[in-house]
Amino acid sequence: MTTLLRRLAGHLARGLVMIWVVTTFTFFLVQAMPGDPVSAQYELLLQQGMSPDQAEAQTAVTYGFVPTGSVWSQYTHYLWQLLHLDLGVSVKAQGVKVSDQVLSAMPWTVVLVFSGILISFLVGVTLGVVAALRRSSATGHALSLSGSLLHGVPPFAIGLILISLLASASGMQIFPSGGSVDAEYVPGFNGWYISNVAWHAILPALAYALSTYGGWLLAMKSSVVSVLGDDFLLAAELRGLSPFTRFRYLARNAILPLFTVLALSFGLMFGGSVFIERIFNYQGLGVLLFNSIGARDYSLMNGAFLLITIAVILANILADLLYTVIDPRVRRA
Amino acid sequence: MTIAPASTVDTPAAAPAVTALPTSRRRFWRGVWQALRRRPSRLFGALVVVAFVVLAVIGPWLYPARLPHDPDAIYAPMSLKHPLSTDFEGVDVLALVVTGTRSVLLCAFVAGLVTVVLGTAVGLFSGYRRGFADSTLMRVTDFILTIPGFPLLLVLTTVYSFGNPVQMGLVLGVIGWGALARAVRAQTLSLRERGFIEAARGLGLPTRHIVLRELLPNVAPYVAMNLLLAVTGFVYAQVGLFFLGVLPLNTNNWGVMLNFAVYQGGALLTPAALPYLLAPLGAILLLTLGIVLVVDALDEIFNPRLRES
Repeated sequence: MTTLLRRLAGHLARGLVMIWVVTTFTFFLVQAMPGDPVSAQYELLLQQGMSPDQAEAQTAVTYGFVPTGSVWSQYTHYLWQLLHLDLGVSVKAQGVKVSDQVLSAMPWTVVLVFSGILISFLVGVTLGVVAALRRSSATGHALSLSGSLLHGVPPFAIGLILISLLASASGMQIFPSGGSVDAEYVPGFNGWYISNVAWHAILPALAYALSTYGGWLLAMKSSVVSVLGDDFLLAAELRGLSPFTRFRYLARNAILPLFTVLALSFGLMFGGSVFIERIFNYQGLGVLLFNSIGARDYSLMNGAFLLITIAVILANILADLLYTVIDPRVRRA
Repeated sequence: MTIAPASTVDTPAAAPAVTALPTSRRRFWRGVWQALRRRPSRLFGALVVVAFVVLAVIGPWLYPARLPHDPDAIYAPMSLKHPLSTDFEGVDVLALVVTGTRSVLLCAFVAGLVTVVLGTAVGLFSGYRRGFADSTLMRVTDFILTIPGFPLLLVLTTVYSFGNPVQMGLVLGVIGWGALARAVRAQTLSLRERGFIEAARGLGLPTRHIVLRELLPNVAPYVAMNLLLAVTGFVYAQVGLFFLGVLPLNTNNWGVMLNFAVYQGGALLTPAALPYLLAPLGAILLLTLGIVLVVDALDEIFNPRLRES
């Protein structure tokens, strides 16, 4: 237990350092922006007849830092605001807090990403075992090839193929062509709303699942192949243990390396969320980031990018903790 | 007993590295040919990759600099004249795909070059040196690997409009070398404990010689395989950026085609426009398939243990 806590503390410390680096990066990015959007807004407010103090306060609310003063004082002010979870206010939609916007978009992305990973994990791992056990047969080759191919195909290509074939006027119109939920349903914990949300989530979740399926399959296959050569399985066979027991031994040992794949696929999926959500017009973090860039809404852009990074870091920590819980060797070491 | 197995295991690995005799080179190419022939699909993959490279080189010369518009043939059905139909201006889709190959592959090539140089250098250095430099470099590598690459690229487009293939290749390469560095480091860590490296160190050979002449040739296969896989990632990132439309759309690129098809051409609304959307997608899938099959062949050439399994 103590090792677990110590690992967790180490991860959290490293995660905090990463978050600090990312916020510093976005701060200086906005500083380096052509035309300096912060002073531009400050000047604009002055022209609109605000007093310098008011304009300064307004700009500080928007970006989380004051436009005047040295870069260092702006930077410390910005970090101080962030410590209070204050991401500023959206530039375009004045008065709307960035933290509210990103936090309301967050669940949509997270639910979609997690359900996609769950589906691809179950299917990919099962088929990975099959591909390993039948690796000399045509089935095995076909499975491995499907895995490598889907592993290499970009998520947006999968999304576009799905939407053009299954949810558009050009192909078959089976699924809704976009959005997270139909407008006529009142948000709430009732069956109609939830089933409508689920109905809209099928294709995007499938796109996520297909784009990570290959990673699971290939990792599981190579892991099973390497475990198959181990002596303990031969010993189990010689002891006359049932095939089911031997399979349990095999699966337990083979599934361990997959947790590194888990961490990687979280990064891939949160990165790919920009595409999937844009293609399916889904109101998550990725689309928020994309829209903020299109609208040059820098405070929103910073907030969305920061939250995506935090999500990936947390997912990585989660994957590593799971690994620690499952693999006794790590715990004892 | 302790010496004999080590020397027998290590000689074959070190032999091609130290003495690049013509015979060993010929044996290598015979191995390549056998691996390709063992499964016809690999031969197909190699042909696809070669065909795309040839198209990238000569493609833009096959057509006039400004592709002919034909207002009478907007979204024309597939025919001999327009094998993949036409776009919203009546430009031949096949011509667009062919002429777009150069910028896609040029960008992937530049990104690959940057990745190989940075990733191999970092991996070899930290794997061979270990210690403080290693842990620092690996922290940096982990950092680069963890930051979600695509959102980072999107954010970067706001300050730097890297629409040109070479510029974009540089950007993609600079943020994409993490995985290769990790793979090379892991390989170097296991190689440096092997007998032939210890022998080289015992002989007092300079570090430069050990790293460049002994280690590098042995990690080269891993570099090649990781590089090919990275190239699919670069194609994805590049085409994706153009597809989202966050970069100037004035170049000819598969991603630009996808953007126009979905957001201006209405490919999701009219079945006639579907070829315009599916053609660049098909090109991406075909290129990916070719690369995957070549990696499969390389895997077998360099890891003979996989051969009978």
